[in-house]
Amino acid sequence: MQANIHDESVRHDLITMLPRLKRFADVLVGEKRAGKALLRRALLRILTDQHRHQRGTPLDRWAFAEIYRLWLSELRNHSDPLRQAKASERDFEQLFPKDQEAAFDVLTANFLEHLPPQQRSTLLLVYGEGFDYEDAGRVLDTNPDTIQARLILATATLANRLGSASPTQAQASAAIENTSKSQDDTNDRAQ
Amino acid sequence: MTELSDELLVAYVDGQLVRDQTRAVDKVLEQDDVIARRVDALKEAHARLESAFEAILAGEVVEVLAAPMLPPRIERQRGDGLGRVGLTVVGIGLALAALVGGYGWPLITPDRTALRQPALASGRQPVAAATPAPKVVPAPITATTWQEQVLRAQALLFGGVEVGLEGQGNLDLVAFQLAQAIRPAVKLPDLQPQGFKFVRARLLRFGDTPLAQILYLGAEGALLAVYAMRGSGDGEPAFRQAGAIGSVSWSDDGIAYLLIGEEDETALFRLAEKIKHEPAAPGQPALAPAPRSEPRPELSQVPAEPGAPASYPVIRGSAPTSRTTPPN
Repeated sequence: MQANIHDESVRHDLITMLPRLKRFADVLVGEKRAGKALLRRALLRILTDQHRHQRGTPLDRWAFAEIYRLWLSELRNHSDPLRQAKASERDFEQLFPKDQEAAFDVLTANFLEHLPPQQRSTLLLVYGEGFDYEDAGRVLDTNPDTIQARLILATATLANRLGSASPTQAQASAAIENTSKSQDDTNDRAQ
Repeated sequence: MTELSDELLVAYVDGQLVRDQTRAVDKVLEQDDVIARRVDALKEAHARLESAFEAILAGEVVEVLAAPMLPPRIERQRGDGLGRVGLTVVGIGLALAALVGGYGWPLITPDRTALRQPALASGRQPVAAATPAPKVVPAPITATTWQEQVLRAQALLFGGVEVGLEGQGNLDLVAFQLAQAIRPAVKLPDLQPQGFKFVRARLLRFGDTPLAQILYLGAEGALLAVYAMRGSGDGEPAFRQAGAIGSVSWSDDGIAYLLIGEEDETALFRLAEKIKHEPAAPGQPALAPAPRSEPRPELSQVPAEPGAPASYPVIRGSAPTSRTTPPN
């Protein structure tokens, strides 16, 4: 009886967070269709394995982490994970609804599209979800320092692109960005 | 020029610095234009990222409203189709919340509706001038946040306000309970001929007023919901759209109805017409597969009776169609 009540509670909580989970899956994958498919598989896994959810751990953090874990494990099994992880510009732009009153921010969308999925997800979790660095690190299976480094890199790079940075800073940030991308690629290969 | 790293400035912009550090950066900003410009750029970058994620979320809400994603509830010993319906209901619920949230209960506040002629708007042949045209209300997603929409749905569907209807297999009993809770004239429509199988009925609450929710499942899994609540007077059908989900609302015999589904406007109007001509709930012979001497025509195929006053027009069909008497 208790288990049933808990099951229902998990389902109801998942329902209320579906838009957030969908956004996370979409941003991680970089496109809507694959994001939806990933989320469906992840939800199935979450519901099947919900006994693994430790009470006291916020369900949203756990659900985000499950989506990320599933994405990563599927990516590792892919023959060309780096290529697989790249989103096309057109697919990525589909993430932004075109019927919103707010103008579509091409520059930011383009910037996000070209980030590695982990960096995109980091930005989403901290700036979109309001997670602190520790929680974001738990979701993405990394430490808070890495989360902070990703945020600094991404924000600084976007700021440079907005044209407000001095040329020296822009060059420095570009160098950092390239170094970090290489590191991310190396990490992906290692994983 | 003061040397401050991006690391420090991003932490400043993100509000991650302790108070003393923040004050120190504030002082530097007052004196150093270069650093101040850099901080402005970082703030703009931060704001743009937040806005981008907000925009994506807004799109997700509409999408989730239209196509619920949770897999069906694992069946426990229920063979009534409830498990199959599962949380698909939530999509309808969220749409209901979106529709109700933006306009109040549709037929309680008829003055807020803007009218347009669907036949003209869709380029179809206009119906007879004497025929009251259905009202079609463009219903944009309102400026509420997704959290507010979900909250409304939660309050309607899960918030401890539900009164279960016992014996869902006994449709006479269900109809009786609905009639008691809403009004004797409330209908428990049989939409089997239209391809929608009755799944269940529930009593919810909209404020202090009982709200009946009757769910149907289409052949391909499409969910249809009929909501009924005490209203006043009669009102012509009006169409609204929330994301991919459409609705038709009308009132009849002092009861306000709201029909919601992923059907198009024409199909929903047909179903609304069918429901409008249903007999009232108590003693619902139609819910059992009633023997009929001849096949029942589809609504769009019902021929118009010359001179007969129409309750409201069928929009799509080979000819303008109206009917005053129930088909049964």
